[in-house]
Amino acid sequence: MATEDARYRESSQYQLWSFSPTQLAAMREKTNAAARARIAQRLSSMPASSRNTSAPTSSANTPDPDGASTPALPEFLTPAEEALLVTFNTSELLRAGDHAEMSDEIKATAAAFFRRFYVTNSVMTYPPTEMLMVALYFACKAEGVFLSITDFIKTFGRENPEEIIAGEFLLCQGLRFAIDVKHPFRALRGAVMELGTFPDIEPARLAAAEQRAREILRFSPLITDAYFHYTPSQIMLAALSLADRGLAERLIAETFHYVAPPANNSGAETPASSGPDAPAPSRKPAPRSDGEDKAQIIGSHIRDKVLGTIEACRDMLSKELPERREHWTNKAVIKAQITPLRKKLNKCHDPERWNLVELQRARREQASKKADSEDGDAEDKAGGGTIEPDGAVFGGPLPRDTKRRKMGKGLEDPFGPPL
Amino acid sequence: MAVSPLVAPTTDALQSSSRPTSSSLKRQASAVPSSNGNGTPNLPSTRAAGSGGMTLDPIEQLNEDEKRKYIKGKKLGEGTYANVYLGHARHDPSVLVAIKKIKVLQQTYRDGMAPDAVRELKYLRELHHPNIISLLSVFSSKDQNLNLVLEYLPLGDLEMLIRDVDRVRYGAGDIKAWMGMLTRAVWFCHDNFVLHRDIKPNNLLIAADGEVKLADFGLARSFADPGRRMTANVITRWYRPPELLFGARHYGGAVDIWSVGMVFAELIIRAPFLAGNTEVEQIALICKQIGTPTEDNWPGVTQLREYTVPSEVVPVWGKEAYMGRFGAVGPDGVDLLVRTVALDPKKRITAREMLEHRWWRTEPKPTRKEDLPRKSSGGEEKMGADLRRRNGLLEDESNSRGSKVARKLDFGQAK
Ligand SMILES: Nc1ncnc2c1ncn2[C@@H]1O[C@H](COP(=O)(O)OP(=O)(O)O)[C@@H](O)[C@H]1O
Ligand SMILES: [Mg+2]
Repeated sequence: MATEDARYRESSQYQLWSFSPTQLAAMREKTNAAARARIAQRLSSMPASSRNTSAPTSSANTPDPDGASTPALPEFLTPAEEALLVTFNTSELLRAGDHAEMSDEIKATAAAFFRRFYVTNSVMTYPPTEMLMVALYFACKAEGVFLSITDFIKTFGRENPEEIIAGEFLLCQGLRFAIDVKHPFRALRGAVMELGTFPDIEPARLAAAEQRAREILRFSPLITDAYFHYTPSQIMLAALSLADRGLAERLIAETFHYVAPPANNSGAETPASSGPDAPAPSRKPAPRSDGEDKAQIIGSHIRDKVLGTIEACRDMLSKELPERREHWTNKAVIKAQITPLRKKLNKCHDPERWNLVELQRARREQASKKADSEDGDAEDKAGGGTIEPDGAVFGGPLPRDTKRRKMGKGLEDPFGPPL
Repeated sequence: MAVSPLVAPTTDALQSSSRPTSSSLKRQASAVPSSNGNGTPNLPSTRAAGSGGMTLDPIEQLNEDEKRKYIKGKKLGEGTYANVYLGHARHDPSVLVAIKKIKVLQQTYRDGMAPDAVRELKYLRELHHPNIISLLSVFSSKDQNLNLVLEYLPLGDLEMLIRDVDRVRYGAGDIKAWMGMLTRAVWFCHDNFVLHRDIKPNNLLIAADGEVKLADFGLARSFADPGRRMTANVITRWYRPPELLFGARHYGGAVDIWSVGMVFAELIIRAPFLAGNTEVEQIALICKQIGTPTEDNWPGVTQLREYTVPSEVVPVWGKEAYMGRFGAVGPDGVDLLVRTVALDPKKRITAREMLEHRWWRTEPKPTRKEDLPRKSSGGEEKMGADLRRRNGLLEDESNSRGSKVARKLDFGQAK
């Protein structure tokens, strides 16, 4: 529907969080480069004794050839390595959501939040293992489920609620305060309802396709960049096409009033489609009258473009089919790919941002110092206060002597002991 | 098919500059992850901050820039979870805004950002409509509090007009204009799968040009999937529909329509139509004035958890019964009113059907918004008292049942 198209373009998902692959890659590179520069600067202005490199957790690493006297900069993560960590942690996030038996929407929103946050923030700046929990907690709220933080952390065997609360505002800011995420789940229900009105489609086939498509939607688009590049209905159609290509093509054909050439290829990897002699379900066909109009308005080139887009989305999803869940929890994979990055991260993370609790405490302190002189909510200030443009809002120097929090629990297992 | 568009070409999203930008929110926002056209993202460069010598990260810098755009002035009003201030643009003091600063509620709400704030932010960020208050910008103040920059609506709210019987006169054409704006706002919400859940005259603010704007989305939520439970404890009591009073956990846009009907009635009689002091009293009033919900007029009603009605069954009143009290809007207006207060939510008129109703097209025509009656000066004084009545959750409830209901929600229900 044309209005729906216009409507989607009004959404923050489209306006703020949709990019081409090239653009997304450029942004991530820029984020990475900016973080390196900042961290390098921050590290070199620190007394050597409080450097990350002196943290006990890094002792397992190769000894620094230059010795402790020359404070060499650590090796930073590359954009590709950051991307890998984000993907790995998205998988961890989804597992955590499963563990807590969260709804599909909450998990999907959390995953989108998490991946959006790390477009403009580096994993070297803010700890992904913390942020994934923050994303889950905030996604619950965004989806209208308001849990006490105590209950939330209990589910994950954690003790300190502050760790989550401290990151919430940060996350929200990183999302540019756009906290509504549009998912393909509703579109899938709509598609299945529409397909259900076709008398020649066997209900069993449809049910199987729906189940598989839903399974895909629960994982593949969430762990890839699909939400950045495609609309919910494109993602839905791509997932449906992976589940049952014939059904997806049927739906597209119907939408664009386009009769596909006799299928000699398309059903290749789909369950045998029902022939005309299949028992017709007693459902009445949907009115087709507006199909004519659609066909006139939407030229075939648009249809081809749509097909191309869906095909591209399908390719993206097919790289992370639900079976890949095991890949991301495979011990050998983690040891070979993730552990080395964690070690690197131990040394190259941002000394001024990494500890969310301290960061928030420092900012609050800064704020309360200022609070007396301005920005008060007291009635007697009415007419007075301005929002001061002072640069100290995010703080003067953070306390640097505070002991660095070890990266223990969070990194090993984001959601506590195994079930 | 209730799906999002097939044909939104993703590439269009890249030309951020080519998109219409109606608010600074969009401009500011698109400046973050968008590109300047050659594929290079437009992240602001890191600048050294003033006093501390600590550098700001890009995201912090953006927030600073956004905050700098506004200057906060006197307090306009106070709600349960926010203070609202007048503000103006730094670059042009004639551009007025309202800054809704979410209170720090760490003592009472230690779970981070409060539900009202989350809901309001979520929905206002997405809903762009002339009859819905627009969110111009968002920034955080130094104490990590959320500030919502809203369009400034200087002419008070509908409640002020309704109550000021001595000084504010209005007629059927005016009511029709106000109702039209309200109905379009509600239709737009529902069309976007959003329930407002706190419609009442006090949340209908009035812009300088007379346009009515639905505000206060602190209780809004998305339509749940059929099957997902929602809290019944929403909507200020006088505007709360019978299904919620009976504890229904599955409901839809019809709850807002009842409230719209109550506002309609109140506009006509210039007093709350059904003003119960307790939930029990509210149900009794509905039974008396509209009719007793029974299995006959509302199949399934007796199964609702908290269904109880006074023993004396009152048959549902017909249109004629309303003519005496509500006849000022004519028979067509009364017809519309009666349809909004159908007891059975399934039989209640929808927002879209309301907009198609013949009343809008019969005489008198809706008054042009510029010509609508306005509040008399000095109306501000009474704001404080209204605000103490919490939207949706009334005071007595928010301390007891309301908060408990909210706390009880768990993952199980989220499924
Ligand atoms: N945009 C605005 N322009 C002018 N006054 C406003 C605006 N928004 C809110 N107010 C004033 O602040 C009061 C509280 O705002 P509201 O959004 O209803 O908050 P709450 O959720 O606390 O009820 C309103 O009743 C109104 O008096
Ligand atoms: Mg209010």
